[in-house]
Order: sequence, then structure tokens, then C-alpha cells
Amino acid sequence: MDLSSRISDPGTRWVVDDVASLATRIRLGAVQMVAPQGFGYLGQALSAAEQVASVFGHARPGLDRLVCSPGHYIVAPFAAAVQLGLMDEADLGRYGQDGSPIEAIGTEKSPVVDYTCGSLAQGLSAAVGFALGDRFHGSEARTYALLSDGEMQEGQLWEAAIFAAHHRLGTVTALLDANNSQVDGPIDTITTLDPIAAKWESFGWRAIDLDGHDTAAIGAALDQAARTTDRPTVLVCRTSTVHGLDCLPDDADGHFIKLPPDLAAAAVAELTERLEHQGV
Amino acid sequence: MFEPPFPTVLKPYGRALVELAAARPEILCLSGDLTKQCEVDLFQERFPERFIHAGMAEANMMSMAGALARQGFRPYVHTFGVFATRRPLDQVVNAIAYPALPVRLIGFMPGVSSPGGPSHQAIEDVALMRALPNMTVVDVGDSEEIAQVVPAIADLPGPVYLRLKRGEIPTVFEPAHRLSLSSVHTVAEGGDVLLVTSGMMLPVTLQAAATLREAGADVGVVHVPVIKPLDRAGVLGAARRAAAVVTVENHSIIGGLGSAVAEVLAEEGVAARLRRVGIADTFAEGAKSGPYLFEKYGLSTQHVVDAAWALLGRPGRPPKSRTQQADSGEYAPV
Repeated sequence: MDLSSRISDPGTRWVVDDVASLATRIRLGAVQMVAPQGFGYLGQALSAAEQVASVFGHARPGLDRLVCSPGHYIVAPFAAAVQLGLMDEADLGRYGQDGSPIEAIGTEKSPVVDYTCGSLAQGLSAAVGFALGDRFHGSEARTYALLSDGEMQEGQLWEAAIFAAHHRLGTVTALLDANNSQVDGPIDTITTLDPIAAKWESFGWRAIDLDGHDTAAIGAALDQAARTTDRPTVLVCRTSTVHGLDCLPDDADGHFIKLPPDLAAAAVAELTERLEHQGV
Repeated sequence: MFEPPFPTVLKPYGRALVELAAARPEILCLSGDLTKQCEVDLFQERFPERFIHAGMAEANMMSMAGALARQGFRPYVHTFGVFATRRPLDQVVNAIAYPALPVRLIGFMPGVSSPGGPSHQAIEDVALMRALPNMTVVDVGDSEEIAQVVPAIADLPGPVYLRLKRGEIPTVFEPAHRLSLSSVHTVAEGGDVLLVTSGMMLPVTLQAAATLREAGADVGVVHVPVIKPLDRAGVLGAARRAAAVVTVENHSIIGGLGSAVAEVLAEEGVAARLRRVGIADTFAEGAKSGPYLFEKYGLSTQHVVDAAWALLGRPGRPPKSRTQQADSGEYAPV
């Protein structure tokens, strides 16, 4: 894949055989990307793996759009893209390196996604802008927006939420990674976000609260979202930044996980073994 | 002054703020979800009742800080430079700068000292803050000045933007050095070329000056810890003694130290030729290592030497600098 291309570019093709095993392969890819630096945004891939795998399982290649609002989550779409043949295997080793366009915090140069930004809570506005443009163009494209719960602290997220509901932008589907993690610690020790679904509902959105590591639940919710045309939908995905990687120490800081070589090797072994059980 | 390689100090800002706050109960500490990164975990541990988790909500944080200042508190507001300036600019203008309130905005990780890419690299924060009436803009040069600047700005009547590299900070000046908020610091006088610098580019500039002197040039060095209000007389005095001036900043060449110096030279009719070493009106990028970005974006010792040499009009190639940009300590986006 050309590093300037997006999943919505006409002609883009991929096939997801099994969403759950793709989630495991996202975790594995993220470990391989973060390992050379010894620390990085692994926790974001661990909490968002099922959401990203599900979006790739649902999105229509060459039509639907993907916005990754928190730029430091870009590791997960990159890992998925490598697994689906949209990026080269070698790109795993270029992640975050000097001179590489595969940057650790997503930028304008980041491939695969239609939009990402390292300054938080701006992605939903971009998703709304895409959906508005698609409506003007008469396109039936759907825009999937990966958001993080911490972004709900920023006012701009709510500006976008109000606008999207007022204009009944049913083609916008947000996946809100509610992992209760921000730099300074658990979000609920800093600001109270709950009830999250009720907030979005009161803004005019359809909100579905679910286990963000349950691919069947996410899949069903994405189907519901696709059938909901009179308003945008948000999936409130309850997750953990250390999910699906048992070898991590109990005190791992999920926002910025330290991954020394021995731990990286254990992580690769654990995830490789799980993939064998998942039959891929 | 110490000689390179300079010793380093860990978290000098965070320690200085705790020391000041111990004597000043009106000081409040606000953090925008970057508490350890802004060294104020030290404040949080010592004065939890005066520590405010604002969360990732910079606009709200700035407007709240203004209101706190109206009640007699002294809010010190902490986040990365980008999120202290460009993101909540309207709130900084209306809640803090226009009413001229004593809020201290502490913006960490200037220029390409952040590997986090354009969203995290404050390359125009000085330009934005300089443009605001009432705002004082400070970019100190080493750990000794950081320790001194925290109490020095405590009683300024208006708002202050303090730009800081985080974590491990070199110590260039000896304890006897006295930071002045009103005067530039003349490190050396020289008649061929004057190097004018601020902030974390001080060590690079000193190394460049040493290289140029070894090649026979008479090099002056002026360090400008306060970019606004600029010590115009200090800059003019040094510039009038020199045939050429080179400014050195970890910032866009537009709107920062180089622009401030250019304005003074032009307004006063100083004939010295000027070159601005800085980020050349381009966005930088994410990377793994600091030296890579400083080299790529024209902020190495050699870049300063080359710029000065070009103005000296001497024959031959510019001398090669011996020392490279040293960047010790962790280089992480958060």
C-alpha cells in the first residue's frame, strides 16, 4: 500500500476472516512495533484491539472511512493494516523510528486512516465533517471514529456531538474506548464521566454500552448502527489497557507500557500460542 | 560557567516550585493530565490540597485559572507548550492576558525537544505569547536559571509564559550567576559576530562560539532569558559592537527570538547582517531521538557555526564543531 492511501480510497481491498483472531494479531503486531523502543503505546492497542478488528470487519473497503481521533492509538490501525496486507510487514519495524513516516503519534503522514491527530478530541469533528461532505456528495459512505474516553474531558468532543445529532448524521459511528485510563491515572479519579451512555443519549445519539473485548457484542452493535439512519451511534466500549496480554506485570502503566526485551519475547510467545488456539 | 559536557539536574522546576509554594500559600498548581511530565508530581505529593487536576481540558483550565487569580490566588498552570498556547489561545487571551492577571503558564517540551510530532512540538509558542499584550515570555537557559526564575516571576503583576524543557536539565551557570528579568546576560563580547540565544539552545550556542573562536573569529554571546519584554538596550549594545548577528532558537524563525531581535535592529538602524537559526518555517515530525530532529531541523552546533561563518565572509569552509548536540535522559512523547 502506498503510504499516502486511506482505506476509503476506491480500489482498496481487504478481507477479515475472523475478527477475534485479528484482534490477537493486532496485539501481536503492536508488541512487535513497540518492542524496539522498549516502551510505548501498547496499552492503547490492547484496549482497542477488538474495536479496531471489528471496524475492519464491518467497514466496506474502498468506501467507508476510518478516523482515529487519539493519534497515539494509531498503533492499532497500523497493526491491523499490516495483518490485512494494507501495509508492509517491514513497516512494523519502522514504527516510531527516526525518519520514518510510520510515526508513533499519528499525523498527516500516517497511512491507512482518513484522519488522525495527536492533539486530542478533534477526530469526532473530522468524522462529522466527512459525513457532512459525503451527504453533500450523495455518497453512502459510513465514517467510523475511534475515540477515547479521556477525550470526553475536552469541550470540542461535545461540540461535535451536538452538531452531529442536530444534523442527524446517521452515517457517523463512534467507538468510544472506555478504558478509564489517562496519563495521570484512572480517569474516574480525575473527572467523573459516567453515566457515559446517558450523556450521549441526552445529546441525541444512539448509545450502546457494551464489553469492548466482546467481538460478538461489538459486531451486533455495529450492525445496529448501520441500520440506524436518523441519528449517529456511539458504542461505549468498556475495556482495559492490559487486556489480552497476561504476561504484563500487575503494575504496568497502561498509558505508556514499558516493554523490555524479555517481556516482549514473553508477549510474542503468549500471543503466538493464542493464535494457534484460535485456529489461524 | 561550567565547561561542557555540562552536569545535569533532574526536575529543577518541580523542586523550585515546591520550595516557593512552601512560603507562599496563595500558589495553586493546576495540571492538564501531564503531572509527572511537568514535574509537579512533586507539588502534588507535598501540597495535595493546593493541587488541581484539571484533566485534559485546557480551555476550561485557562479560564478557571484567570478566575482563581481574580480571587488573589497565584495559579501556576502546567501542560505541554502546545496545549498551553495554541490550543486554548482564546481563553488565554480573554481570561488571562487582557485582564492582565498574574497567572503563570508553564509550557513544557519546546520545539523539537518533543519526539511527538507536530501535534506535540511547540514551534510557535513564543510567537503566540509574544503577540499578546501584557504577557511576559521567558525561556531560561539552564537548571540554575530554572531554580531562580520560579521565585523571580512570583510577584510580577501580569501573566507569564515560561517555556521549559523537562526532566534532566544541564547546568551551565554556577550558583553565583544571577538571573535578571530585565537584562540580557552577556556571556562574551565580540566584534566579528554576535550569537544571541535563549532557552535550551544555550549549550549549543556556547559550543558553536568555541568552535568559531578556535578558527580565529571574535565571537560574542548574549543569552536572552526574557524574550518579552526584550532588553532592547542590552541587545543593541552587543549588536552595535558586532559586524554580524546570528540568533539561535528552538522555535520557528518566525515570531520568536530571531524576530524580536530583528525588530530591534531594524528599528534602531543597526547595520549588522542577521541570520536566524531555528526551525525554518516548517512543521517537524515524530521521531525516536532528539539529536536526529535537532540535526534534521537545523538546530545543531554545526548549523550555528555555518550560519556565523557565512556572515564572517572569510575564505575556506566553516570549521567543524567537535561536540555534538547532547540529549541525555528519556526522550518520550509523554
